[in-house]
Amino acid sequence: MADVVLKNVRKSFGRAHVIHGVDLAIGDGEFIVFVGPSGCGKSTLLRLIAGLEDITSGDLFIGGERVNDLAPAKRGIAMVFQSYALYPHMNVYDNMAFGLEMAKSSKAEIDAKVRAAARMLQIETLLDRKPRQLSGGQRQRVAIGRAIVRDPKVFLFDEPLSNLDAALRVQTRIEIAKLHTDTRATMIYVTHDQVEAMTLADRIVVLNAGRIEQVGTPLDLYHRPANLFVAGFIGSPQMNFIPCTVAEAGQDGIEARLPDGGTVTVPVSSEGVRAGAAVTLGIRPDHVRLSGQGTLTGRIELVEELGENHLLYVNVGRERHLTVREPGDARHEVGQEVGLSLDGGFCHLFRETGEALPLLKPAGFPTSRPSAASTSIA
Amino acid sequence: MKVLTRIGFWLLVAAIGLFSIFPFYYAVISSLRSGADLFSVAYLPERLDFSNYVAVFERQPFGTNIVNSVIVAASVVALSLALGITAAYAFGRIRFRGRSLLLMTILAVSMFPQVAVLSGMFELIRSFGLYNTLPGLILANLMLTLPFTVWVLTTFMRELPKEIEEAAFVDGATPWIVVRRIFLPLMMPAAVTTGLLAFIVAWNEFLFALTFTLTNERRTVPPAIALMSGSTAYELPWGTIMAASVIVTLPIIALVLVFQRKIVAGLTAGAVKG
Amino acid sequence: MSGAALQASAPARETMRGGRSSLTRSRVRAAWIFIAPTLIVLILIAGWPLARTIWFSFTDASLNSLADYQFIGFENYVANYDGEWFGLLTDPDWWHSVWNTVWFTAISVSIETVLGTIVALILNASFPGRGIMRAVILIPWAIPTVVSARMWNWMLHDQFGVINDMLLRLGLIAAPITWTASPDTALWTVVMVDVWKTTPFMALLILAALQMLPGDIYEAAKVDGVHPVKVFFRVTLPLIKPALLVAVIFRALDALRVFDLIYVLTANSRDTMSMSVFARQQLVDFQEVGLGSAASTLIFLIIALLVVITMVAGQVRLSGEVR
Repeated sequence: MADVVLKNVRKSFGRAHVIHGVDLAIGDGEFIVFVGPSGCGKSTLLRLIAGLEDITSGDLFIGGERVNDLAPAKRGIAMVFQSYALYPHMNVYDNMAFGLEMAKSSKAEIDAKVRAAARMLQIETLLDRKPRQLSGGQRQRVAIGRAIVRDPKVFLFDEPLSNLDAALRVQTRIEIAKLHTDTRATMIYVTHDQVEAMTLADRIVVLNAGRIEQVGTPLDLYHRPANLFVAGFIGSPQMNFIPCTVAEAGQDGIEARLPDGGTVTVPVSSEGVRAGAAVTLGIRPDHVRLSGQGTLTGRIELVEELGENHLLYVNVGRERHLTVREPGDARHEVGQEVGLSLDGGFCHLFRETGEALPLLKPAGFPTSRPSAASTSIA
Repeated sequence: MKVLTRIGFWLLVAAIGLFSIFPFYYAVISSLRSGADLFSVAYLPERLDFSNYVAVFERQPFGTNIVNSVIVAASVVALSLALGITAAYAFGRIRFRGRSLLLMTILAVSMFPQVAVLSGMFELIRSFGLYNTLPGLILANLMLTLPFTVWVLTTFMRELPKEIEEAAFVDGATPWIVVRRIFLPLMMPAAVTTGLLAFIVAWNEFLFALTFTLTNERRTVPPAIALMSGSTAYELPWGTIMAASVIVTLPIIALVLVFQRKIVAGLTAGAVKG
Repeated sequence: MSGAALQASAPARETMRGGRSSLTRSRVRAAWIFIAPTLIVLILIAGWPLARTIWFSFTDASLNSLADYQFIGFENYVANYDGEWFGLLTDPDWWHSVWNTVWFTAISVSIETVLGTIVALILNASFPGRGIMRAVILIPWAIPTVVSARMWNWMLHDQFGVINDMLLRLGLIAAPITWTASPDTALWTVVMVDVWKTTPFMALLILAALQMLPGDIYEAAKVDGVHPVKVFFRVTLPLIKPALLVAVIFRALDALRVFDLIYVLTANSRDTMSMSVFARQQLVDFQEVGLGSAASTLIFLIIALLVVITMVAGQVRLSGEVR
């Protein structure tokens, strides 16, 4: 078991800089997920940790040892690839045994470890098959099995579920979570799927354009996004953003003026914010309430009925839309005029630079839906 | 109109087929006739007279020639593939400075006219004491097979997924083990294709074999057939020559018919992609 | 590629200081170790002999005393004694062989390209027995050149040959033709045999290109009611042109070095002598290593020039492949 520490790690391919000075400390036994849009450098970062790419500058420590110059196999890691990368000409047993064989383990030891891993993954009956005779899910298990037998200090997963169908993806996700509970190994997992990230991670690392945007627990990122990018990336459907100006910056928060003139008081630190400054107000679709006389009015343009709840796309004028999530039993029609109320307690404010203004409330953002009574701000 | 087109099409197919096969067919027929029979033209076999096939082995060391050809071609294939697969791994999968230039140079060698190296090669082979020996021919033939072996195998190597190699590195394999344990098995189909092409080239090679051997016992099949003569220069033993031709062509035709798809794949990988 | 190489050099320098990851380092080291045997063999059996051949072309070496020669400069190429010109460049036999080779290359490659395209189009149609046909046309290609030359020698025999017999029976000729011996027909005969042997190769390359074309363009043309001949010239031909060009260049380079076929079919006859046959005759039969090497060097230069032109033209495509 080991911690993984990155200090000012940079990577460039020729003149193209892909990773710009990443600092990150991953604790022993932690499950860390790298997320970000495609091309953000998350896979590259994983490959740097694996040793499949050179680190251009900076230091990488695994278990306290600087491993920049160590070959992948000597770093105490195991990797599960997106395409599984099973050796096509070897059967399942040999695929799993190959790494141990390279490490010159004894035959008896190899056999014991391979069979133990196969039992754990329930692929004992497949040991004689070639990869091409396996289904996608089975291949995935073999790939994980190949990682397990190496008894690594750190597991690396590169989008391991993206080639599976939806049902299998959920099932395998649960198995990976169980694997983490069982082995307590450090795990680093790359995905572009935020559901995977939210469900699996102890902490999520959000990457964008080769930089870390924010590191935190899933709920931390959801409730306290550090900036516009994280706020927009985490959560589905996306958070609503409304450009505002600061009407008044006080001790208890900032009164933000909406484009249509209404105001919302958001309990955030007003340090360094002056009246008249441009800010962006963010609110998740769950927290926008329909009400008779709201902060905003608009016309419902589209209703997506998802069953447990509905998504309403409301045109609030000037080509702007807000997404609202409503309970599934409510009836709404396209064309209906509605009032929308925004509860300042559920809003986020971002500076022009995109940086979030710190929330004033010290601990925990409310997670339950607000009760109807406490909502509207007149 | 439709019927006419169909008839025309099939006539064309038949003509192509006939044109392709007839010379070989005629060689077979001629090889089964001997003596004065040969001096009349026949389009169909009359009787099976194998005396030419006996003669070809009795009057000259044709058996030795065949063994020589097999030894030379097999050695050339083995050496080309052994050298070619390791080089192809480096060219196909590893980024290093000068890679493109080297690959281009190797491709350029495959376009060398044989005669351009003839005097230099003659000197080289003689200085190694390999004149009129099979190792000398094997060495010379490598010039013809090695460049395209490297080239074709590199094209195939590039098509193998990168992640399999990376998985092997994570598993602790060295580059040499990756080649031997991972890529060699995966490259087997490509190696068979390339090996076949190299075999055909070496089996058919004439100029080096003609120039670097002296005695009939050391010749491979092509110069042996080219230099077959009768009692006088004007009386060539056509029946025997045809029998020898049929003997050396049959295995090649068998190879081609069995491995037709692989050969075509190799030819197009070497030429179209090159 | 040169762009990529330049780009790679910057971080390479940087990582040298910081210490390269041992994976990349060991892979690059392995690359050179893996390439070394091939390079050494090629330098030994191609580079060195070529250099020696070029060197010999400036000497008066002879085959039975290869170690004992003198440097004579360009005298093998061109020399002037007492107002009279000597040397390869003034030798009409050499120029005749150059002419023969160029003529042979131009005519045979043209015919092979046209016939090859026709055969490829036929094999591209689906009909029962297509697989067998594809194997059958490979037979001429696979037969050793020497053997096919001898087979045709026999078929073209002036007295007992089957070709003369057929033509006589059909009444196309009045008297047997001495195909390989007569100056009028000898080179055409060589071309014919080469066409027989090499058209399949062309056809297969063109067929490979044809099979890479998407089928829907033909369906679209069919729906639009375009005549098949027009489809070929307006759609198919432009699409397979790159592959066709590559095939033609490869064939032409091959044809320029022709030796086996001409040597066996017509021996050292002046009417059909190619550059390679000429060079070998000087080298081996006349033991004139100096003069023969000069001819070899010229052949090399001619082909090298064509190869360089081809490669420069093809480089763009190649660099796209580099990963």
